[in-house]
This record gives sequence, structure tokens and C-alpha cells, in this order.
Amino acid sequence: MTTERVTAPQTKPPLWRNETFLKWSAQIGVFVGIVALFWVLGTQAATNLDAQGREFSFRFLSDPAPQISEGIFTLPENGLESFATGIVNMLRVTFSGIIAASFLGVIVGVSRLSSNWLLSKSATVFVEIIRNIPLLVLIIFFALLCSLFFPELSNEASGPVWLIFTRNGVSLPWLFPTDTFWQWGAFLALGVVAAVLMFRRRDRLREQTGQNTHAPRYAMGAFLVVAAVGWFAHPIAGALGWIWQLLESIVSTVPVLAWQLLFAAVAVFLAVRWIRGFLDSLRSPAGLAKLTDDDYFRIGLAGVIGVGAALVFLFIPAITETIADVTAFVFGFFDQKFEFLRTGSPMRFARPEIIKPANFASIGPQGMTMTPAFFGLWVGVTLFTAANIGEIVRGGVLAVPKGQTEAGLAMGLRRSQLLRLIVLPQALRIILPPIGNQYLNLAKNTSLGIAVAFPEVVATMTTLANQSGQYLPVLLMWMGFYLTVSLLLSSLVNYYNRKLKLVER
Amino acid sequence: MTSNGKKEPIIVCDGVKKWFGDFQALRGVSTEVGEGEVVVIIGPSGSGKSTWIRCINRLEVHQEGRIIVDGIELSSDVRNIEKIRSEVGMVFQQFNLFPHLTVLQNVTLAQTWVRKRTKAEAEKKALDLLERVGIREQAAKFPGQLSGGQQQRVALARSLAMDPRIMLFDEPTSALDPEMIKEVLDSMKELARSGMTMMVVTHEMGFAREVADRVVFFDQGQIIEEGTPEHFFTDPQHDRTKLFLSQIL
Amino acid sequence: MVETRVSQHLVPPEPPPEASQPGALVWLRKNLFYSRGSTILTVLVGAVILLFLRGAVGFLLDQGRQWEVIPRNSANYSIGSYPRENIARTWVSLGVVAFIAGLATAAWRPIGRVSPGQISAAVRSAGIAALVLAVLAPSTFGGRTEFLIAGAVLFVIGQAALMALGDRAIDAFLPTLVVLGAGLVAFLVVLWILPISSSTQIPWTIVIAAAVVAFGVGRALIQPLGAPTVKRSVVALALFALPVLYLHVQRAPEIPWDRVVDWSAWIIPIVVIGYAAVIFVSGAEREAAAIVNGLLVVASIVVWFVSAPMAARFLLLMLTAVSLATPTFGSGEKGRRTVIAVWTGVVLVLMYLFAIGVGTPTLETNNNYFAGINLTFMLAIVPMLLAFPLGILMALGRTSTMPLFRLMSTGYIEVIRGVPLITVLFFFRFGVLNFLPPGLQPDAILLAIIGITLFAAAYLAENIRGGLQSIPKGQYEAAKAMGMTTAQMTMLITLPQALRAVIPAIVGQIITLFKDTSLVSIIGLAEFLRVANNIVPGQPDSLGTKLENLVFAAVVYWVFTFTFSRASLRLERRLGVGVR
Repeated sequence: MTTERVTAPQTKPPLWRNETFLKWSAQIGVFVGIVALFWVLGTQAATNLDAQGREFSFRFLSDPAPQISEGIFTLPENGLESFATGIVNMLRVTFSGIIAASFLGVIVGVSRLSSNWLLSKSATVFVEIIRNIPLLVLIIFFALLCSLFFPELSNEASGPVWLIFTRNGVSLPWLFPTDTFWQWGAFLALGVVAAVLMFRRRDRLREQTGQNTHAPRYAMGAFLVVAAVGWFAHPIAGALGWIWQLLESIVSTVPVLAWQLLFAAVAVFLAVRWIRGFLDSLRSPAGLAKLTDDDYFRIGLAGVIGVGAALVFLFIPAITETIADVTAFVFGFFDQKFEFLRTGSPMRFARPEIIKPANFASIGPQGMTMTPAFFGLWVGVTLFTAANIGEIVRGGVLAVPKGQTEAGLAMGLRRSQLLRLIVLPQALRIILPPIGNQYLNLAKNTSLGIAVAFPEVVATMTTLANQSGQYLPVLLMWMGFYLTVSLLLSSLVNYYNRKLKLVER
Repeated sequence: MTSNGKKEPIIVCDGVKKWFGDFQALRGVSTEVGEGEVVVIIGPSGSGKSTWIRCINRLEVHQEGRIIVDGIELSSDVRNIEKIRSEVGMVFQQFNLFPHLTVLQNVTLAQTWVRKRTKAEAEKKALDLLERVGIREQAAKFPGQLSGGQQQRVALARSLAMDPRIMLFDEPTSALDPEMIKEVLDSMKELARSGMTMMVVTHEMGFAREVADRVVFFDQGQIIEEGTPEHFFTDPQHDRTKLFLSQIL
Repeated sequence: MVETRVSQHLVPPEPPPEASQPGALVWLRKNLFYSRGSTILTVLVGAVILLFLRGAVGFLLDQGRQWEVIPRNSANYSIGSYPRENIARTWVSLGVVAFIAGLATAAWRPIGRVSPGQISAAVRSAGIAALVLAVLAPSTFGGRTEFLIAGAVLFVIGQAALMALGDRAIDAFLPTLVVLGAGLVAFLVVLWILPISSSTQIPWTIVIAAAVVAFGVGRALIQPLGAPTVKRSVVALALFALPVLYLHVQRAPEIPWDRVVDWSAWIIPIVVIGYAAVIFVSGAEREAAAIVNGLLVVASIVVWFVSAPMAARFLLLMLTAVSLATPTFGSGEKGRRTVIAVWTGVVLVLMYLFAIGVGTPTLETNNNYFAGINLTFMLAIVPMLLAFPLGILMALGRTSTMPLFRLMSTGYIEVIRGVPLITVLFFFRFGVLNFLPPGLQPDAILLAIIGITLFAAAYLAENIRGGLQSIPKGQYEAAKAMGMTTAQMTMLITLPQALRAVIPAIVGQIITLFKDTSLVSIIGLAEFLRVANNIVPGQPDSLGTKLENLVFAAVVYWVFTFTFSRASLRLERRLGVGVR
């Protein structure tokens, strides 16, 4: 059999020829280089601002903010309300746009597949026109059309009406939250918890008995019951105000140093936990596998990052201070919204009216008012997204294997039945992920509203940035906001995606 | 004892172990391969035989034990890895020709960039080798336009163009249609006769009987039995080997 | 028992049965009125379309519309406020572009054919449509007579062509090149006959002549040089022409010799060290080369932290790049000559670009050298070219096995893709100035280019990642098994395949980018949309013409984008049937 002879003694290669070492030193080198770049830019910025006698701050959020043309706070008291107005306006366009674009998009997609020549050609022309013109041009064009075609506002005051439709704006009756809305909101949150619990219980029952237990209906019912009770019982929830107050006082009285120590400890703890998890993942039934050089580098890096973060927390108190300030501010905000036994209906119904304070009439603060800019933006993003969704739907339907259609025809289904029962459900699985992407794009595209002076997040915050000169904090807020929206929307799409896939099996 | 004691060992494996997560693919493989020897490795699928020869040019990284090829130890030393790879040619089950290059470019590419030959030298060498495997007239075509057998012969020429001292074959005929297998095996036989050191993972028992100096039976990540083809096919010792041979012959 | 049967003779293939040409009525029956439902649908859709067209035409061609502002402002649309006495410079630029386009047409012979029958039928249909609209349009319609005349002329031309073609209308084809040439000639004839724009007659003729001459030159060069060489030269020429046209021809800078002399204290040593380094590295052992390269990397970082001219910093950066690539691509005797040539070229090009880049423009204007559609194209082309290397790096990082590279690339890509372009543009227009030293204050166009580049790179990286992931593992293994280094494997095997696989996606990205350039109008750059939306309607003699200008802008964007996307479809099909 084989000899056990080995011709040369085993040696470790020198460091500069060790593959693992070279790879890690390149990575760490680039990483340090990028950190250094940001550090240089940061110090330069600090120098520049010092020279101008300014500093980075979020103070513009509490400073007075200018008037806004439409939204929940048209006369915001501070920057934060301005930000909130922008967010709500953006969400209004996004949600109404998503609904309209979905309907229109499916119609366009199915029309393109129609065997009626005229219909399919018109849908094709629609898609080709809309997709090949920049969205910004569409938005500006439709905003212009709205301001040209909407009727003029008559120069006379009028009492509450059901609809105002003029060049100055479109106003609808609406339910508005009042002072006690947040107290009721606590009950709504409770309702969601109750609904989830109820759903799980009914679902477990279904698994046990095998019968349909109508879990979604029961969950909805639980939510409605809690919400209905809350409508009347919300003054009790005002007691939460004491808790918020307590939290606020804790955050603001505990010295910053304590928070610094806590955060540093958390950073180290997280690093230790990651390293332990990593080691556990390498543990096999036969015991701990041999650690490679690569593994040592990973563990070392995690340790360095953890300790580094801890040191940053310890030696730069400004970061911890900002976090503590923001937390205290949030708790204080909630504290204002809750007051034990504060009564009043959580929502208020209002109808629009035209007022005439002086020589010129205008739409009053009652009612939900949208400017022509809203419609320009809304029509623009809706048509643009609908054209894209139409293409996705068409592609999805075409991607369903031909054998499925043939099998359906062989069963004697009619064309419409075939589409509804066989093709569309299967196409749905193909088209859902790209449509989710389109929704995300729509949300981001609402930022173009700034071109037609529609006050969404970018427009309102640009005003604040120009006023205060604080572009970096504003950019950070934009990034935070849009990344949150992206994350929420994509996790929603992923959830449905998973659900559809489970059904398939 | 190797099958031919006079030959200097060119590949030495000593206690080679390798894990994929929890699964141990190699459980201590020790053997030597002499210069000019043709070793055929057989065994059931999933037995780790491909993993083993892929360790020899470090397409897989072994975790314990030692592999020494032509006196060079395989470790994380970048210089040794490249040196060994340019000495060891390899032919894959799926050919792995570069689809964006012509047949001629496939054979000349590594010669010019790794061996630093001039374009003229490389092309002359490439055309000679293509002639040797019998497809010189296809030199200007793209791999996608060739049959599987032709592609595999291009892959053989591509490896030989680097003047390797060792050739590894990882199931070279498994992806071929039956009528193509012969043309590839013929090229391999011709190569074996020319004195190349070869390690061949294959299911072609006829090839093993005719060409191999030594047959290695591999199962569950270890060498179960090895010996000359006559000995191996006529008088297997281990029960596992007997069972395997009874199932395939 | 099964009887053995042997075929006595092989059946030769037969031509398919001749398909009969369906008549118009059969076609209508089959496509529009095949069931009661479809008849109702056809009538409904037809009515809606007719009403919509009637309204749209009536609205757009209302007597009150002032469409004459568009031709009156054609110069504004193309070059904005570029000084008119120097307009020859833009014509020269256009001529150079036409010349390169002519060379490119000769190098990549456009394949495909055009059916004259289809063109004639389309012309006839357009005539019918114009006639129908002229009859149906509402009373406010201002151009009824013109529409009637134009419709009749088009109809007659189309019908006459169809009748002249006769039976050949279906299966006669013209090469694309002939149609292209005929189009250019027709354009010139129209320009000289109709009184549209007399001042541009001569320049346009010269531009088109340049394209034709270049086509001839290209055809003549292909024989002696070979098509691949010509193609490579055309690409190199185009890449070099781009900065020359934008920075030198259109800006007419005064080259600041005194500053160039100031730089030389840094530049000359770097150039000399560069020659020494690349010659040494190309012949050195691996370890020695690595040490030299390591020193260069350190030096090229350190030079950013000491007070050195920007030209020196970039030159050292380029030297490091060249030297790092040398062990992989430039070793050996032949490699040494290549790297020496490359380094010489890098020095000359970079120094020239810096000299003209920092030179003060001599033109008398309010600093807006780039505006109108000129700027739009600049903002689409330049960031795309700059984003390419960055996007490839990010894609390689994201598919890398090295965790830190993966983390950094993924973070960058996801953050950029999560935010809208306009926020990035805003930050680069106003916020970035806070982070730069007081002496370094780039102008708005450069900042916009950097912003768009960083944005486009993230999307490009995702496209390229798709290509990299589609490459089978065997390709990597085969390359490694032959002893290639990772750099060689990437540059020679995986990247070329990945890029080829994602060409359609990248073309789609370019089209999106072209449309997205309209966003810079929001941050105040005078690109095409801003000219249409703000500048032209803001002129005293063109007040209240926003609608006309917007419609015109939409049509122009549509024509370009639609042409690009059709061309990319053709390219996709060509790639699909090609090599793979």
C-alpha cells in the first residue's frame, strides 16, 4: 500500500505570500481608506462651518417653518410639523397612485393581450408614449393642464358643501383627528394585538378540527370591537401620559455618561454575541471544527468593530447626547398627546366651504383640500407606473406555459374563464415582485412633486434646508425616510410573495 | 508500494481531510502518484473522488493533511498555488470552454497571459495541439457551434497547451453522448501512451482496464482499495469493492 | 407479430402550401368583429379614440396656439445661452460627432433591411389619418387647410409608391444604409428648398458631408487595417473627442501656462518615477513588484493629505493603477513596451485635460457654456461613462467572497437605490460645498455630473451583478485551473461574458438615464426641459407659451428615447442569434 513518506517538512508561507492575509489586508485597507475619506470630509466640513460660525444641527426642526400650500399643517409651527406635512402629502399621492396605477396597469396589460386589434394597438400606443417621455415632463404637463382646465373659483363665500372643484384646489368632506385621537390610537394598537391573537387562535382551531374557522373575519371582528370600545373608553388611555412623562424624565435626568457607558456596553455585548454565534455555527457534532485563518480574521474584525463603536460612544459624547435628546423629545411629544380623562370624540367630520375674509374668496380650512399640483403629480406617476405595470402584467401572462392554456381549452373553458381561473392566478406569482418594485419607484417618484410646487417630503425639507443651510441633516432625514418606506413596502411584497409560494405547495 | 517502485512520486497526499459544513467529504486520503503513472479513480457518486482531485490543484481547499505536487506544498501561499496550477492541467465534466472566445482563442489565451508566450508561438502550439486531437479545421468556430465530443477535445488541447506535467480528468466523458465518448477516450489513450502523469475519475471500466497503471477504488471519502487493473478487476479483496464491481459489470 | 418494414426511398422535402393573401374584409372580420362582444368593444374603443384625438388636435392646434415660438427658439433649445458669435464652435463639435458617427457606421455595418412597401403604406396611413382629423376636428381647429393639403399629399405619395412597387411591395427590401443615406439627402433638400432656417443651411451641409466623407474613409481603412482595429480606433477616438469637444472646443479656455509650470515641480518627478516603476515592475519578481506597488499605493493616498496640485494627485493615482495592472497584463519584453506606451499616453492625456480643464474660458458669457440639448446629452453620456468603472467595481465587490468588500458594496448600492435621484442632486448641488476646502468649489454642472454618476453606478452595478451571477461556476474553475490570477480571470473570462449578457439591461439603463437628466432642471441647470419649461416661456415675446414648449419637449424626448429603445431591441435580437 501507500508509503507515508512526505518529501519536505511543512512550513507556513511568509505573511506577504499568505492568501488569507493578503485578502484581509486588502479589505481592511480599503475600508480604512473609505473611513479616512469620510473623516477628512467631516473635519473639512467642521472647519468650514466654524469659519462661518455655524454647526450641524437639527434645530430647524423646532424653529418656525414657512407656510405650506396644502396638507395637515398648512401653517406649521415648526420644522417637524412641516416634515410631517410633507410625509402625509407624499403618502397620499403614493397610496392613491398605487391603487389607481394597479387598476389601470392591469387593464392596459390585459388590453395589450386582447385579440381585438384596435384595443391591443391602443394599449400599445399608450404604453409606448408614456414610457418614452420623462416622468418629469409628464408631471409638469399634467399640472399645467389641471391649472388650465379646472374651473375658476367664484369670488363668493359659501357654506359647507360636499365638493369644491376649482383651479385653487379640490376640497372634499373628510374625517379629521382631534386632540384625543392619539388616546384612541392606543386602543387601535391594542386592537391590532387582539386581532393577531384571535387570528392565531382560530387558525390553531382550524388545524385541530380541519374546519374553516373564518380566522380573518374573527380577527377583523376583534379589532373592530376593541376600536369601538376605545371610541368611548379612550379617556382612560390618557393614563399612558404619566408613563410617557416618567420615561421622559428618566431619559433627561440620567446623566449622559451613564447612557454612554450603556451604549458602549451594548456595542461590546453585540460583538461578543456575534462571535459566540459564529463559533456555534462552526461547531459540529464532532466538536469545534478547526478554525481557519479566515475565521480568525472575521472574529478579530467583529471584536475591533465592537470595541471601536464602544470607544466612539465613550469619547464623543455628542452622539449620545443627540440620541438622548431625540428620545426625550419623542417621549415629550407623546406626553402632550395623552391626558388622563381628557374627553371628546377622537375624529371630527368636516365639510369644505369657501370663505371670503377680505376682497378675495378662498377655500376654507375645513375639508380635505388638494391643489392642482397634487393632480398633476398624481396623474403623472399613475400613468407612468400604469404603463410599466401593464408591461409587467403582459410579460407575466405570456410567461405562463402554453401547456396551461391548452389544458384549460381542453377542459372546455371559455377564453375569459381561462384568463380568470387559470392564467392570471399563475401570472400573479411571476408579476408580483416586479410590481412591488414599481410601487417602490412610484413612492420615490413622488419626489418630483417639487417641480410643480407640490409640498411633499423633498419640497418641504428643501425649503427648510435652504433657510437653515443644514443640507447634511436634511439629506440624512430624506435617507431615513425613503429607506424606511422602501423597507416597509418591500417587506410587505415579500410577505405576500411567501404566502403565494406556500399556497403553491 | 506504488505499482511501479522505480518512479519518483510527483504527487504526495498525506492524511488529506476536508469538510463541507458538518459533512466530511475526505476522511484522510494518503497515497503517492509516480511520474508518468496513470491512476484511474472509480467509486460510487458522492464518494468524494472528484473533491479529492479538485484538492490537488486547489479548486477545493483541504483543511487537514498535506498535498505536495512536484515538490511544492499546497498551502495558502499564493505563489505556490499559481505555480502548481500552471503545472497541473484539468479537464472537466462540463468542458467549461469559454463561450465568448473562438476555439483558437480558448487554446491561446492562457498561454499568452500565464505562460507569457508571444501570440505567434501560442497560435502555432494551439494549432499543433488541435491537429493532435483531430479538430484543427474547427479553430475559427465558437464552442457553441461544436459537438460535445469536439468541445471536450478542445478542452484537452487547451490544458495541454500549458505544457502541464500532470493532467487531472474529472469524469471527462460523463456529459457526452455515447457515440462521442470514443473520440475523447482515444485522445486520452494517446496522451497516456506519451508518458503523461494522469489522474482520471471515470466510470469507463474499459478505459481503466486498458490504460491504467493503477486503479483506486474510492468510497466514503477514503481509498478502499488500490492495485493494478488485472488484480483489481479479477481479484478484488475488499467486500465493498466486490459489491461495487458486481453492480456495474 | 410485428412485421419489419423498411422504407424503400427517402421522401424529399416539399415547399409549404402557398398562403392566400387575406382581403381587407376578412382581416376586419378576424381582428375587429369576430364576436358580438368584440364588435361592441371595437365600436366603443374606436369612439373614445376618435373623440380623444379630435379633442387633442383641436386643443393643440387651436387658433390661439403660438407654435412659431419653437422654430424661433431653435438655437435656445439646442445650445441655450451659448454666445452666438462663437456658434461656429458648436457646429465644429457637431461636425466632429458626425465624422465619428460616419466612421462608426463604416466599422459596424448596420445590418437589417427596410421594406419600401411598409414605408409607403405607413405614409399612406399617415395621410389618411391627417385627412380624417382635418374633417373631424372641432371648429377652433386652426390648421384645417394645411392638414387637408398635407394629408392629401401624403396619401398620394404613399399610394403612388405602392402602385409603382406593385407586386414587389411585399418582398422587396432596401439595405438600412441606403435608407439612411436617402433620409440625409431628403433632409438637406428640404432644408435648402423650404424657408425654415436659412442660417443653418451651410453648416448642416458641411456636417452631413463630414459624416459621408468619414464613412468613405472608414470603408477604405477596413481593408488594410482589419475591422477590429478600426472599431477599437473609433471607440478610442470617440472617448478622446468627448473631453476635447466639451472642455476645449466649446469652452475655448486660455491655457494657464504659469500654473502648468508651477505643477512641474510635482509632475516631472512623478513622470520619471513612473517610468522607473513600470519598467522595474514589468520585469521584477512578484514580491519585489508587490513592494513597489505597495509603496505607490501609500504615496497616492498620502499625496491627498499634503498640499499638492490636483494634477499631481490624479497623476499619481493613475500611475498606481497602471503599475498595479502591470504584473498581470504587462510583464515580459512585449509587456514592458506596452506599459511604457500606456504610461506615456496617460501622462499626455491627463496633463492636457488638466491644462484645458483649469483654464479660464475666454468666451464672454454668464458661464453657461453648456445648455439646451447639448447639456442634456452631456449629462447622459459623461456620467454613464464615469459610472461604468465604478459600477463594475461595485458589482465585483458585491459578488466577491470577501465579506468586507461585499458589505461596503451592498451598503452603497442599497442606500443609493433606496433614495430618489432628486435628493442626491440636491445634496450635490448645495450640500457638498460644505465638505470641500474653500479653494475647491466645482461648478454646478460638474457637481450634477458627479451626483448622477454616483447614482447611476449603483443601478449599473445591479445590472452587472446579474450578469456575473449568470456565469456558470465552471468558467471560474477552468480559468483558475489554467493558472490565471484573479485579475486575469475577471478581465479576460468573467467580465466580458457578464457584460455581454447584460447589454440589453445596460441600454435600458442608459435610456432611463437620458430621461432622468430632465431632473437637473429642478436644481437650476439650463438643460433641455428647463429651456422649454422656464427659459423660453419666460421671454417677453413668448409669454404664455408653456404648453406649446412642453409638448415640443415631450415630442423631442419621445423621439430620442423611442429610437434608442427600438435600436436596443434590434441589438438584443442580434446578440440573441449571434455567438452564444
